[in-house]
Amino acid sequence: MSTRGLAYTGGVGFALWRRSLLELARVRGGLLPTTVAPLIFLLGSLGQFGRLDQLVGFPTTSYIAWLVPLSCLQAAGFAGGATGANLARDIEAGWFDRLLSSPAPRPLLILGPVMAAVTRCLVPVTVIFIAGLLLGPGLTGGAFGLFMLYLAAISFSIVASLWGITLALRAKSQQVGPLIQNGVFIAVFLSTAYTPLPFLKGWLAVAAPYNPVTYVLQMGRQATVSGIEPSWAHTWPGLLALAGMMLFFGLLALRQLRRVDR
Amino acid sequence: MFSDHTAAKDAGATIIVEALERVYSSGLRAVDGVNLAVAAGEIYGFLGPNGAGKSTTVRILTTLLRPSGGRARVAGYDVVEQASQVRRSIGVALQEAALDPLMTGRELLELQGALHGLRRAESKLRADELLERVDLAPAADRLLNTYSGGMRRRLDLAMALVHRPDVLFLDEPTTGLDPVSRASLWSELRRLNEEGTTIFLTTQYLEEAEQLADRVGIIDHGKIVAEGTPQDLGRLVGEPGLYVKLIDQSQCDLARQLLAVHGAVSDREAGGLTIRTALGARAIAPIVRTLDEAQIEVDAVEVEEPTLDDVFLAVTGHRAEDVAGGEQS
Repeated sequence: MSTRGLAYTGGVGFALWRRSLLELARVRGGLLPTTVAPLIFLLGSLGQFGRLDQLVGFPTTSYIAWLVPLSCLQAAGFAGGATGANLARDIEAGWFDRLLSSPAPRPLLILGPVMAAVTRCLVPVTVIFIAGLLLGPGLTGGAFGLFMLYLAAISFSIVASLWGITLALRAKSQQVGPLIQNGVFIAVFLSTAYTPLPFLKGWLAVAAPYNPVTYVLQMGRQATVSGIEPSWAHTWPGLLALAGMMLFFGLLALRQLRRVDR
Repeated sequence: MFSDHTAAKDAGATIIVEALERVYSSGLRAVDGVNLAVAAGEIYGFLGPNGAGKSTTVRILTTLLRPSGGRARVAGYDVVEQASQVRRSIGVALQEAALDPLMTGRELLELQGALHGLRRAESKLRADELLERVDLAPAADRLLNTYSGGMRRRLDLAMALVHRPDVLFLDEPTTGLDPVSRASLWSELRRLNEEGTTIFLTTQYLEEAEQLADRVGIIDHGKIVAEGTPQDLGRLVGEPGLYVKLIDQSQCDLARQLLAVHGAVSDREAGGLTIRTALGARAIAPIVRTLDEAQIEVDAVEVEEPTLDDVFLAVTGHRAEDVAGGEQS
Protein backbone atom coordinates (compact mmCIF):
# COMPACT_ATOMS: atom_id res chain seq x y z
CA MET A 1 0.00 0.00 0.00
CA SER A 2 1.28 3.47 -0.88
CA THR A 3 1.99 6.13 1.75
CA ARG A 4 -1.11 8.02 0.62
CA GLY A 5 -3.16 4.83 0.83
CA LEU A 6 -1.91 4.21 4.36
CA ALA A 7 -2.67 7.79 5.36
CA TYR A 8 -6.19 7.45 3.95
CA THR A 9 -6.77 4.13 5.71
CA GLY A 10 -5.47 5.57 8.97
CA GLY A 11 -7.61 8.68 8.54
CA VAL A 12 -10.81 6.72 8.00
CA GLY A 13 -10.02 4.32 10.84
CA PHE A 14 -9.27 7.21 13.20
CA ALA A 15 -12.41 9.10 12.18
CA LEU A 16 -14.66 6.10 12.80
CA TRP A 17 -12.92 5.32 16.09
CA ARG A 18 -13.33 8.96 17.15
CA ARG A 19 -17.03 8.72 16.46
CA SER A 20 -17.30 5.75 18.82
CA LEU A 21 -15.35 7.65 21.49
CA LEU A 22 -17.69 10.62 21.14
CA GLU A 23 -20.63 8.29 21.63
CA LEU A 24 -19.06 6.82 24.74
CA ALA A 25 -18.43 10.29 26.11
CA ARG A 26 -21.88 11.65 25.29
CA VAL A 27 -24.17 8.78 26.24
CA ARG A 28 -24.42 9.01 30.00
CA GLY A 29 -24.34 5.58 31.51
CA GLY A 30 -23.69 3.97 28.13
CA LEU A 31 -21.18 1.59 29.68
CA LEU A 32 -23.29 0.78 32.72
CA PRO A 33 -25.04 -2.33 31.33
CA THR A 34 -21.81 -3.96 30.18
CA THR A 35 -20.19 -3.16 33.53
CA VAL A 36 -23.02 -3.83 35.96
CA ALA A 37 -24.23 -7.14 34.50
CA PRO A 38 -20.87 -8.95 34.81
CA LEU A 39 -20.39 -7.46 38.29
CA ILE A 40 -23.75 -8.87 39.36
CA PHE A 41 -22.82 -12.22 37.80
CA LEU A 42 -19.55 -12.06 39.74
CA LEU A 43 -21.18 -11.38 43.08
CA GLY A 44 -24.08 -13.76 42.47
CA SER A 45 -21.85 -16.62 41.39
CA LEU A 46 -19.59 -16.00 44.36
CA GLY A 47 -22.57 -16.46 46.66
CA GLN A 48 -23.87 -19.50 44.79
CA PHE A 49 -20.66 -21.45 44.24
CA GLY A 50 -18.19 -19.78 46.63
CA ARG A 51 -17.38 -22.99 48.50
CA LEU A 52 -16.22 -24.84 45.41
CA ASP A 53 -12.70 -23.66 46.20
CA GLN A 54 -12.72 -26.06 49.14
CA LEU A 55 -12.90 -29.07 46.81
CA VAL A 56 -9.80 -31.15 46.61
CA GLY A 57 -7.99 -30.41 43.38
CA PHE A 58 -9.58 -27.01 42.81
CA PRO A 59 -6.77 -24.93 41.34
CA THR A 60 -7.14 -22.01 43.75
CA THR A 61 -8.12 -21.45 47.34
CA SER A 62 -10.08 -18.33 46.40
CA TYR A 63 -13.17 -18.86 44.26
CA ILE A 64 -13.31 -15.19 43.40
CA ALA A 65 -9.87 -15.58 41.81
CA TRP A 66 -11.51 -18.13 39.52
CA LEU A 67 -14.44 -15.83 38.75
CA VAL A 68 -12.73 -12.48 38.13
CA PRO A 69 -11.24 -13.45 34.74
CA LEU A 70 -14.62 -14.93 33.76
CA SER A 71 -16.40 -11.67 34.59
CA CYS A 72 -13.76 -9.68 32.72
CA LEU A 73 -14.29 -11.88 29.67
CA GLN A 74 -18.07 -11.56 29.98
CA ALA A 75 -17.77 -7.78 30.17
CA ALA A 76 -15.47 -7.72 27.15
CA GLY A 77 -17.84 -9.99 25.24
CA PHE A 78 -20.89 -7.88 26.08
CA ALA A 79 -19.01 -4.69 25.12
CA GLY A 80 -17.99 -6.26 21.81
CA GLY A 81 -21.49 -7.53 21.16
CA ALA A 82 -22.88 -4.06 21.87
CA THR A 83 -20.93 -2.65 18.93
CA GLY A 84 -22.75 -5.14 16.69
CA ALA A 85 -26.06 -3.95 18.10
CA ASN A 86 -24.96 -0.36 17.49
CA LEU A 87 -24.13 -1.22 13.90
CA ALA A 88 -27.64 -2.64 13.48
CA ARG A 89 -28.96 0.68 14.81
CA ASP A 90 -26.77 2.56 12.30
CA ILE A 91 -28.07 0.36 9.48
CA GLU A 92 -31.68 0.97 10.49
CA ALA A 93 -31.12 4.72 10.83
CA GLY A 94 -29.48 4.93 7.40
CA TRP A 95 -26.12 6.05 8.79
CA PHE A 96 -24.40 2.94 7.45
CA ASP A 97 -25.61 3.81 3.94
CA ARG A 98 -23.64 7.04 4.25
CA LEU A 99 -20.52 5.00 4.99
CA LEU A 100 -21.28 2.54 2.19
CA SER A 101 -21.75 5.33 -0.34
CA SER A 102 -18.32 6.75 0.49
CA PRO A 103 -15.22 5.49 -1.31
CA ALA A 104 -13.74 4.12 1.95
CA PRO A 105 -12.65 0.48 1.49
CA ARG A 106 -15.44 -1.71 2.84
CA PRO A 107 -13.29 -3.66 5.35
CA LEU A 108 -12.51 -0.34 7.06
CA LEU A 109 -16.20 0.04 7.80
CA ILE A 110 -15.90 -3.08 9.97
CA LEU A 111 -12.70 -1.85 11.54
CA GLY A 112 -14.56 1.12 13.05
CA PRO A 113 -16.92 -0.97 15.21
CA VAL A 114 -14.09 -3.36 16.09
CA MET A 115 -11.93 -0.50 17.36
CA ALA A 116 -14.95 0.77 19.24
CA ALA A 117 -15.31 -2.66 20.86
CA VAL A 118 -11.72 -2.57 22.08
CA THR A 119 -12.20 0.90 23.53
CA ARG A 120 -15.55 0.06 25.07
CA CYS A 121 -14.32 -3.10 26.79
CA LEU A 122 -11.42 -1.45 28.62
CA VAL A 123 -13.61 0.41 31.10
CA PRO A 124 -15.78 -2.49 32.37
CA VAL A 125 -12.85 -4.93 32.35
CA THR A 126 -10.78 -2.57 34.48
CA VAL A 127 -13.67 -1.81 36.86
CA ILE A 128 -14.38 -5.52 37.34
CA PHE A 129 -10.73 -6.39 37.78
CA ILE A 130 -10.24 -3.71 40.42
CA ALA A 131 -13.49 -4.71 42.17
CA GLY A 132 -12.33 -8.33 42.12
CA LEU A 133 -8.95 -7.45 43.59
CA LEU A 134 -10.65 -5.48 46.35
CA LEU A 135 -12.70 -8.59 47.18
CA GLY A 136 -9.69 -10.73 47.78
CA PRO A 137 -7.69 -12.48 45.11
CA GLY A 138 -4.16 -11.35 44.61
CA LEU A 139 -2.47 -10.83 41.32
CA THR A 140 -0.74 -14.23 41.46
CA GLY A 141 0.33 -14.10 37.83
CA GLY A 142 2.13 -10.80 38.12
CA ALA A 143 2.56 -8.44 35.16
CA PHE A 144 2.61 -11.31 32.66
CA GLY A 145 -0.66 -12.71 34.00
CA LEU A 146 -2.26 -9.27 33.98
CA PHE A 147 -1.12 -8.74 30.40
CA MET A 148 -2.61 -12.10 29.40
CA LEU A 149 -5.91 -11.25 31.09
CA TYR A 150 -6.18 -7.97 29.21
CA LEU A 151 -5.04 -9.58 25.95
CA ALA A 152 -7.69 -12.29 26.36
CA ALA A 153 -10.39 -9.76 27.22
CA ILE A 154 -9.56 -7.33 24.41
CA SER A 155 -9.27 -10.11 21.85
CA PHE A 156 -12.54 -11.65 23.03
CA SER A 157 -14.24 -8.26 22.62
CA ILE A 158 -13.01 -8.26 19.01
CA VAL A 159 -14.41 -11.76 18.47
CA ALA A 160 -17.76 -10.75 19.98
CA SER A 161 -17.76 -7.58 17.90
CA LEU A 162 -17.16 -9.53 14.68
CA TRP A 163 -19.95 -11.94 15.65
CA GLY A 164 -22.25 -8.98 16.32
CA ILE A 165 -21.28 -7.27 13.07
CA THR A 166 -22.01 -10.44 11.11
CA LEU A 167 -25.48 -10.75 12.59
CA ALA A 168 -26.18 -7.01 12.24
CA LEU A 169 -25.22 -7.05 8.55
CA ARG A 170 -27.33 -10.13 8.03
CA ALA A 171 -30.46 -8.98 9.87
CA LYS A 172 -30.12 -5.21 9.27
CA SER A 173 -32.33 -4.75 12.32
CA GLN A 174 -31.83 -3.88 15.97
CA GLN A 175 -33.97 -6.88 16.82
CA VAL A 176 -30.81 -8.91 16.46
CA GLY A 177 -29.33 -7.31 19.63
CA PRO A 178 -30.51 -9.98 22.11
CA LEU A 179 -29.33 -12.76 19.79
CA ILE A 180 -25.85 -11.21 19.68
CA GLN A 181 -25.61 -11.02 23.47
CA ASN A 182 -27.13 -14.50 23.94
CA GLY A 183 -24.44 -15.88 21.65
CA VAL A 184 -21.74 -14.32 23.79
CA PHE A 185 -23.40 -15.56 26.98
CA ILE A 186 -23.76 -19.12 25.70
CA ALA A 187 -20.19 -19.25 24.37
CA VAL A 188 -18.88 -18.28 27.80
CA PHE A 189 -21.33 -20.47 29.71
CA LEU A 190 -20.43 -23.64 27.77
CA SER A 191 -16.84 -23.46 28.95
CA THR A 192 -14.99 -23.81 32.22
CA ALA A 193 -16.78 -20.70 33.38
CA TYR A 194 -17.53 -21.84 36.95
CA THR A 195 -15.43 -24.98 37.47
CA PRO A 196 -12.30 -26.53 35.95
CA LEU A 197 -12.61 -29.27 33.33
CA PRO A 198 -12.10 -32.22 35.76
CA PHE A 199 -15.09 -31.01 37.82
CA LEU A 200 -17.51 -30.84 34.91
CA LYS A 201 -20.04 -33.62 34.32
CA GLY A 202 -22.23 -34.93 31.53
CA TRP A 203 -22.78 -33.00 28.31
CA LEU A 204 -20.89 -29.94 29.55
CA ALA A 205 -17.83 -32.08 30.28
CA VAL A 206 -18.00 -33.18 26.64
CA ALA A 207 -18.67 -29.73 25.18
CA ALA A 208 -16.29 -27.56 27.18
CA PRO A 209 -12.99 -29.01 25.84
CA TYR A 210 -14.18 -28.21 22.30
CA ASN A 211 -15.20 -24.68 23.22
CA PRO A 212 -12.36 -22.27 22.38
CA VAL A 213 -13.53 -19.95 25.16
CA THR A 214 -12.29 -22.58 27.66
CA TYR A 215 -8.73 -21.90 26.52
CA VAL A 216 -9.23 -18.13 26.41
CA LEU A 217 -10.36 -18.31 30.03
CA GLN A 218 -7.35 -20.41 30.92
CA MET A 219 -5.13 -17.79 29.32
CA GLY A 220 -6.78 -15.00 31.33
CA ARG A 221 -6.78 -16.98 34.59
CA GLN A 222 -3.02 -16.88 34.66
CA ALA A 223 -3.51 -13.45 36.26
CA THR A 224 -5.35 -14.55 39.41
CA VAL A 225 -5.51 -18.35 39.73
CA SER A 226 -2.52 -19.67 41.62
CA GLY A 227 -2.95 -23.16 40.16
CA ILE A 228 -2.63 -21.86 36.60
CA GLU A 229 0.83 -20.42 36.73
CA PRO A 230 2.00 -18.10 33.94
CA SER A 231 3.50 -20.26 31.24
CA TRP A 232 3.55 -20.75 27.49
CA ALA A 233 1.61 -24.00 27.96
CA HIS A 234 -1.29 -22.05 29.47
CA THR A 235 -0.97 -19.30 26.88
CA TRP A 236 -0.71 -20.78 23.41
CA PRO A 237 -4.02 -22.67 23.36
CA GLY A 238 -5.78 -19.42 24.22
CA LEU A 239 -3.90 -17.46 21.58
CA LEU A 240 -4.70 -20.13 19.01
CA ALA A 241 -8.37 -20.14 20.02
CA LEU A 242 -8.58 -16.36 19.76
CA ALA A 243 -6.80 -16.28 16.40
CA GLY A 244 -9.11 -18.99 15.09
CA MET A 245 -12.25 -17.24 16.29
CA MET A 246 -11.08 -13.88 14.95
CA LEU A 247 -10.32 -15.43 11.58
CA PHE A 248 -13.61 -17.33 11.45
CA PHE A 249 -15.86 -14.45 12.51
CA GLY A 250 -13.77 -11.92 10.58
CA LEU A 251 -14.30 -13.87 7.36
CA LEU A 252 -17.99 -14.25 8.15
CA ALA A 253 -18.32 -10.50 8.72
CA LEU A 254 -16.47 -9.69 5.50
CA ARG A 255 -18.62 -12.16 3.58
CA GLN A 256 -21.73 -10.55 4.97
CA LEU A 257 -20.39 -7.10 4.13
CA ARG A 258 -19.84 -8.15 0.53
CA ARG A 259 -23.48 -9.21 0.37
CA VAL A 260 -24.86 -6.06 1.95
CA ASP A 261 -25.87 -4.58 -1.42
CA ARG A 262 -27.86 -7.65 -2.49
CA MET B 1 -21.02 -3.22 -22.01
CA PHE B 2 -23.66 -0.77 -23.14
CA SER B 3 -25.18 -1.09 -26.52
CA ASP B 4 -23.77 1.07 -29.30
CA HIS B 5 -27.21 2.54 -29.65
CA THR B 6 -27.21 3.85 -26.11
CA ALA B 7 -23.61 4.98 -26.26
CA ALA B 8 -24.24 6.93 -29.43
CA LYS B 9 -27.53 8.33 -28.29
CA ASP B 10 -26.27 9.40 -24.91
CA ALA B 11 -22.75 10.52 -25.69
CA GLY B 12 -21.82 13.07 -23.06
CA ALA B 13 -24.45 11.88 -20.59
CA THR B 14 -23.33 11.74 -16.98
CA ILE B 15 -25.88 9.14 -15.96
CA ILE B 16 -26.88 6.39 -18.37
CA VAL B 17 -29.33 3.72 -17.35
CA GLU B 18 -30.30 0.88 -19.62
CA ALA B 19 -32.99 -1.73 -18.94
CA LEU B 20 -32.39 -1.48 -15.21
CA GLU B 21 -34.20 -4.01 -13.05
CA ARG B 22 -34.39 -4.81 -9.39
CA VAL B 23 -36.40 -7.68 -8.02
CA TYR B 24 -36.44 -8.13 -4.25
CA SER B 25 -36.34 -11.56 -2.64
CA SER B 26 -40.06 -11.13 -1.86
CA GLY B 27 -40.64 -11.13 -5.61
CA LEU B 28 -41.45 -7.42 -5.70
CA ARG B 29 -40.22 -5.96 -9.00
CA ALA B 30 -39.33 -2.49 -7.72
CA VAL B 31 -37.53 -1.36 -10.86
CA ASP B 32 -38.72 -2.82 -14.12
CA GLY B 33 -36.68 -1.97 -17.20
CA VAL B 34 -35.83 1.66 -16.55
CA ASN B 35 -33.95 3.53 -19.30
CA LEU B 36 -32.78 7.08 -18.89
CA ALA B 37 -29.91 9.42 -19.64
CA VAL B 38 -28.98 12.57 -17.74
CA ALA B 39 -26.71 15.12 -19.39
CA ALA B 40 -23.84 16.79 -17.56
CA GLY B 41 -25.02 19.92 -15.78
CA GLU B 42 -28.66 18.92 -15.90
CA ILE B 43 -31.17 18.72 -13.05
CA TYR B 44 -33.18 15.57 -13.58
CA GLY B 45 -36.32 15.17 -11.55
CA PHE B 46 -37.44 11.63 -10.84
CA LEU B 47 -41.06 11.83 -9.91
CA GLY B 48 -43.36 9.21 -8.53
CA PRO B 49 -45.45 8.21 -5.54
CA ASN B 50 -44.25 6.07 -2.64
CA GLY B 51 -43.39 2.57 -3.79
CA ALA B 52 -42.96 3.60 -7.43
CA GLY B 53 -39.26 2.61 -7.57
CA LYS B 54 -37.56 5.99 -7.15
CA SER B 55 -35.48 5.18 -4.10
CA THR B 56 -34.54 1.74 -5.37
CA THR B 57 -33.26 3.33 -8.58
CA VAL B 58 -31.23 5.85 -6.59
CA ARG B 59 -29.81 3.12 -4.37
CA ILE B 60 -28.66 1.25 -7.45
CA LEU B 61 -27.14 4.36 -9.03
CA THR B 62 -25.31 5.18 -5.80
CA THR B 63 -23.93 1.59 -5.57
CA LEU B 64 -25.89 0.75 -2.42
CA LEU B 65 -27.91 -1.94 -4.15
CA ARG B 66 -27.06 -4.34 -6.94
CA PRO B 67 -29.37 -4.37 -9.93
CA SER B 68 -31.03 -7.65 -10.82
CA GLY B 69 -30.64 -6.80 -14.49
CA GLY B 70 -29.63 -4.07 -16.89
CA ARG B 71 -26.75 -1.61 -16.67
CA ALA B 72 -26.05 1.81 -15.28
CA ARG B 73 -23.11 4.17 -15.61
CA VAL B 74 -22.56 7.22 -13.46
CA ALA B 75 -19.86 9.78 -14.21
CA GLY B 76 -18.47 7.37 -16.78
CA TYR B 77 -18.23 4.37 -14.45
CA ASP B 78 -20.27 1.18 -14.25
CA VAL B 79 -22.16 1.07 -10.94
CA VAL B 80 -21.39 -2.62 -10.42
CA GLU B 81 -17.96 -3.13 -11.97
CA GLN B 82 -16.49 0.24 -10.96
CA ALA B 83 -18.45 0.98 -7.81
CA SER B 84 -15.51 2.53 -6.02
CA GLN B 85 -14.90 5.08 -8.80
CA VAL B 86 -18.61 5.88 -8.84
CA ARG B 87 -18.51 6.57 -5.09
CA ARG B 88 -15.62 8.99 -5.54
CA SER B 89 -17.59 10.95 -8.13
CA ILE B 90 -20.96 11.26 -6.44
CA GLY B 91 -22.50 13.02 -3.47
CA VAL B 92 -25.49 11.36 -1.87
CA ALA B 93 -28.22 12.66 0.40
CA LEU B 94 -30.69 9.88 0.97
CA GLN B 95 -34.26 9.97 2.23
CA GLU B 96 -34.54 11.09 5.85
CA ALA B 97 -31.18 12.67 6.59
CA ALA B 98 -29.24 9.94 8.36
CA LEU B 99 -27.13 11.92 10.76
CA ASP B 100 -25.65 10.82 14.07
CA PRO B 101 -27.58 12.78 16.71
CA LEU B 102 -24.66 12.55 19.13
CA MET B 103 -22.27 14.47 16.88
CA THR B 104 -22.07 18.14 16.03
CA GLY B 105 -22.49 19.49 12.52
CA ARG B 106 -18.80 20.28 12.30
CA GLU B 107 -17.77 16.80 13.52
CA LEU B 108 -20.00 15.15 10.96
CA LEU B 109 -18.57 17.21 8.12
CA GLU B 110 -15.04 16.41 9.24
CA LEU B 111 -15.89 12.69 9.43
CA GLN B 112 -17.33 12.86 5.93
CA GLY B 113 -14.14 14.58 4.78
CA ALA B 114 -12.06 11.73 6.22
CA LEU B 115 -14.25 9.16 4.47
CA HIS B 116 -13.52 10.93 1.20
CA GLY B 117 -9.79 11.09 1.80
CA LEU B 118 -9.43 14.74 2.80
CA ARG B 119 -6.55 15.47 5.16
CA ARG B 120 -7.55 16.75 8.61
CA ALA B 121 -6.61 20.39 7.94
CA GLU B 122 -8.31 20.28 4.55
CA SER B 123 -11.36 18.67 6.10
CA LYS B 124 -11.64 21.40 8.74
CA LEU B 125 -11.39 24.16 6.12
CA ARG B 126 -13.99 22.51 3.91
CA ALA B 127 -16.31 22.02 6.89
CA ASP B 128 -16.09 25.74 7.73
CA GLU B 129 -16.74 26.66 4.10
CA LEU B 130 -19.77 24.40 3.81
CA LEU B 131 -21.23 25.42 7.16
CA GLU B 132 -21.15 29.03 5.94
CA ARG B 133 -22.65 28.04 2.63
CA VAL B 134 -25.67 26.30 4.14
CA ASP B 135 -26.12 28.91 6.89
CA LEU B 136 -25.24 26.55 9.70
CA ALA B 137 -22.10 28.24 10.99
CA PRO B 138 -23.79 29.48 14.19
CA ALA B 139 -24.99 25.94 14.94
CA ALA B 140 -21.79 24.19 13.87
CA ASP B 141 -20.81 23.04 17.35
CA ARG B 142 -24.24 22.02 18.53
CA LEU B 143 -25.26 18.36 18.74
CA LEU B 144 -27.49 17.22 15.90
CA ASN B 145 -30.32 16.35 18.26
CA THR B 146 -30.85 20.12 18.67
CA TYR B 147 -31.20 20.74 14.91
CA SER B 148 -34.55 21.31 13.20
CA GLY B 149 -35.61 19.23 10.19
CA GLY B 150 -34.55 21.99 7.80
CA MET B 151 -31.14 22.33 9.45
CA ARG B 152 -30.61 18.58 9.22
CA ARG B 153 -31.45 18.61 5.53
CA ARG B 154 -29.05 21.48 4.88
CA LEU B 155 -26.30 19.67 6.78
CA ASP B 156 -27.07 16.49 4.86
CA LEU B 157 -26.65 18.44 1.63
CA ALA B 158 -23.40 19.95 2.89
CA MET B 159 -22.09 16.46 3.72
CA ALA B 160 -22.86 15.33 0.19
CA LEU B 161 -20.77 18.21 -1.12
CA VAL B 162 -17.65 17.73 1.02
CA HIS B 163 -15.59 16.22 -1.80
CA ARG B 164 -16.98 18.49 -4.56
CA PRO B 165 -18.79 15.71 -6.44
CA ASP B 166 -19.62 15.92 -10.15
CA VAL B 167 -23.00 14.32 -9.62
CA LEU B 168 -25.36 14.81 -6.72
CA PHE B 169 -28.10 12.32 -5.86
CA LEU B 170 -30.86 13.64 -3.65
CA ASP B 171 -33.62 11.31 -2.53
CA GLU B 172 -36.68 13.32 -1.57
CA PRO B 173 -34.59 16.15 -0.11
CA THR B 174 -37.48 18.31 1.03
CA THR B 175 -39.92 15.73 2.31
CA GLY B 176 -41.27 16.90 5.63
CA LEU B 177 -39.82 20.41 5.39
CA ASP B 178 -41.79 23.59 5.92
CA PRO B 179 -42.22 25.90 2.89
CA VAL B 180 -39.46 28.31 3.98
CA SER B 181 -36.90 25.52 4.46
CA ARG B 182 -37.98 23.98 1.17
CA ALA B 183 -37.52 27.24 -0.73
CA SER B 184 -34.11 27.73 0.88
CA LEU B 185 -32.99 24.25 -0.19
CA TRP B 186 -34.30 24.79 -3.72
CA SER B 187 -32.32 27.99 -3.97
CA GLU B 188 -29.14 26.20 -2.84
CA LEU B 189 -29.72 23.41 -5.37
CA ARG B 190 -30.14 25.95 -8.20
CA ARG B 191 -26.89 27.60 -7.12
CA LEU B 192 -25.08 24.24 -7.12
CA ASN B 193 -26.42 23.45 -10.56
CA GLU B 194 -25.27 26.83 -11.88
CA GLU B 195 -21.79 25.88 -10.65
CA GLY B 196 -21.91 22.81 -12.90
CA THR B 197 -23.11 20.01 -10.62
CA THR B 198 -25.39 17.46 -12.25
CA ILE B 199 -28.32 16.76 -9.95
CA PHE B 200 -30.51 13.66 -9.89
CA LEU B 201 -33.44 14.43 -7.67
CA THR B 202 -36.28 12.17 -6.61
CA THR B 203 -39.41 13.75 -5.31
CA GLN B 204 -43.04 13.13 -4.60
CA TYR B 205 -43.75 16.83 -5.00
CA LEU B 206 -44.86 17.80 -8.45
CA GLU B 207 -44.18 21.43 -7.68
CA GLU B 208 -40.59 20.62 -6.73
CA ALA B 209 -39.97 18.88 -10.05
CA GLU B 210 -41.53 21.78 -11.93
CA GLN B 211 -39.50 24.36 -10.01
CA LEU B 212 -36.12 22.67 -10.24
CA ALA B 213 -35.85 20.10 -12.97
CA ASP B 214 -34.69 20.66 -16.53
CA ARG B 215 -36.22 17.31 -17.37
CA VAL B 216 -38.54 15.03 -15.48
CA GLY B 217 -38.98 11.28 -15.58
CA ILE B 218 -42.20 9.92 -14.14
CA ILE B 219 -41.94 6.45 -12.65
CA ASP B 220 -44.87 4.27 -11.69
CA HIS B 221 -44.74 0.61 -10.65
CA GLY B 222 -41.05 0.47 -11.55
CA LYS B 223 -41.43 1.74 -15.11
CA ILE B 224 -40.82 5.16 -16.57
CA VAL B 225 -44.19 6.18 -17.94
CA ALA B 226 -43.28 9.65 -19.24
CA GLU B 227 -40.17 11.75 -19.65
CA GLY B 228 -39.38 15.24 -20.90
CA THR B 229 -39.20 18.86 -19.88
CA PRO B 230 -42.04 19.98 -17.62
CA GLN B 231 -43.40 21.90 -20.63
CA ASP B 232 -43.20 18.85 -22.91
CA LEU B 233 -44.96 16.76 -20.33
CA GLY B 234 -47.61 19.43 -19.93
CA ARG B 235 -48.50 18.99 -23.58
CA LEU B 236 -49.28 15.33 -22.90
CA VAL B 237 -52.35 16.47 -21.01
CA GLY B 238 -53.73 18.32 -23.97
CA GLU B 239 -54.83 21.91 -24.42
CA PRO B 240 -54.47 24.42 -21.62
CA GLY B 241 -57.61 25.39 -19.79
CA LEU B 242 -59.29 28.67 -19.01
CA TYR B 243 -61.21 28.76 -15.80
CA VAL B 244 -64.17 31.14 -15.81
CA LYS B 245 -66.09 31.91 -12.64
CA LEU B 246 -69.50 33.47 -13.05
CA ILE B 247 -71.16 35.79 -10.56
CA ASP B 248 -74.60 34.27 -11.15
CA GLN B 249 -74.53 30.45 -10.95
CA SER B 250 -77.91 30.19 -12.68
CA GLN B 251 -76.32 31.42 -15.92
CA CYS B 252 -73.97 28.45 -16.12
CA ASP B 253 -76.06 26.45 -18.61
CA LEU B 254 -76.33 29.39 -20.99
CA ALA B 255 -72.61 30.17 -20.65
CA ARG B 256 -71.74 26.54 -21.39
CA GLN B 257 -73.73 26.63 -24.64
CA LEU B 258 -72.25 29.95 -25.74
CA LEU B 259 -68.65 29.05 -24.93
CA ALA B 260 -68.73 25.72 -26.78
CA VAL B 261 -67.60 27.57 -29.91
CA HIS B 262 -64.28 28.37 -28.19
CA GLY B 263 -63.41 24.85 -27.03
CA ALA B 264 -64.47 21.89 -24.89
CA VAL B 265 -66.36 23.14 -21.86
CA SER B 266 -66.64 21.31 -18.58
CA ASP B 267 -68.09 22.17 -15.19
CA ARG B 268 -65.59 22.52 -12.41
CA GLU B 269 -67.57 23.77 -9.45
CA ALA B 270 -70.76 25.72 -8.79
CA GLY B 271 -70.61 28.78 -11.03
CA GLY B 272 -67.32 27.75 -12.61
CA LEU B 273 -66.46 26.39 -16.04
CA THR B 274 -63.25 25.19 -17.64
CA ILE B 275 -62.75 25.74 -21.37
CA ARG B 276 -59.99 23.71 -23.04
CA THR B 277 -58.56 25.66 -25.96
CA ALA B 278 -55.33 25.60 -27.92
CA LEU B 279 -55.29 29.41 -27.79
CA GLY B 280 -54.62 29.40 -24.07
CA ALA B 281 -54.46 32.94 -22.66
CA ARG B 282 -55.25 34.42 -26.08
CA ALA B 283 -58.78 33.07 -25.76
CA ILE B 284 -59.54 35.23 -22.73
CA ALA B 285 -60.69 38.29 -24.73
CA PRO B 286 -63.07 36.45 -27.08
CA ILE B 287 -64.51 34.41 -24.22
CA VAL B 288 -65.15 37.48 -22.08
CA ARG B 289 -66.63 39.26 -25.11
CA THR B 290 -69.01 36.34 -25.76
CA LEU B 291 -70.20 36.35 -22.18
CA ASP B 292 -70.48 40.13 -22.06
CA GLU B 293 -72.65 40.18 -25.18
CA ALA B 294 -74.99 37.72 -23.45
CA GLN B 295 -74.98 39.92 -20.33
CA ILE B 296 -73.39 37.17 -18.25
CA GLU B 297 -71.25 38.74 -15.53
CA VAL B 298 -67.80 37.28 -14.97
CA ASP B 299 -66.24 37.13 -11.51
CA ALA B 300 -62.78 35.81 -12.52
CA VAL B 301 -60.84 34.30 -15.40
CA GLU B 302 -57.68 32.26 -14.89
CA VAL B 303 -55.37 30.42 -17.26
CA GLU B 304 -54.81 26.84 -16.07
CA GLU B 305 -51.51 25.48 -17.34
CA PRO B 306 -51.36 21.69 -17.04
CA THR B 307 -49.40 20.63 -13.96
CA LEU B 308 -47.28 17.54 -13.54
CA ASP B 309 -50.11 16.26 -11.39
CA ASP B 310 -52.30 16.38 -14.49
CA VAL B 311 -49.54 14.67 -16.44
CA PHE B 312 -49.26 11.97 -13.82
CA LEU B 313 -53.00 11.41 -13.96
CA ALA B 314 -52.95 11.38 -17.75
CA VAL B 315 -50.15 8.83 -18.09
CA THR B 316 -50.89 6.55 -15.13
CA GLY B 317 -54.62 6.85 -14.76
CA HIS B 318 -54.34 7.77 -11.09
CA ARG B 319 -53.15 10.72 -9.05
CA ALA B 320 -49.72 10.59 -7.43
CA GLU B 321 -51.14 10.72 -3.94
CA ASP B 322 -53.53 7.84 -4.67
CA VAL B 323 -50.75 5.28 -4.44
CA ALA B 324 -50.27 4.16 -0.89
CA GLY B 325 -46.79 3.90 0.56
CA GLY B 326 -45.60 0.85 2.34
CA GLU B 327 -43.76 -1.00 -0.35
CA GLN B 328 -40.04 -0.60 -0.38
CA SER B 329 -39.52 2.02 -3.01
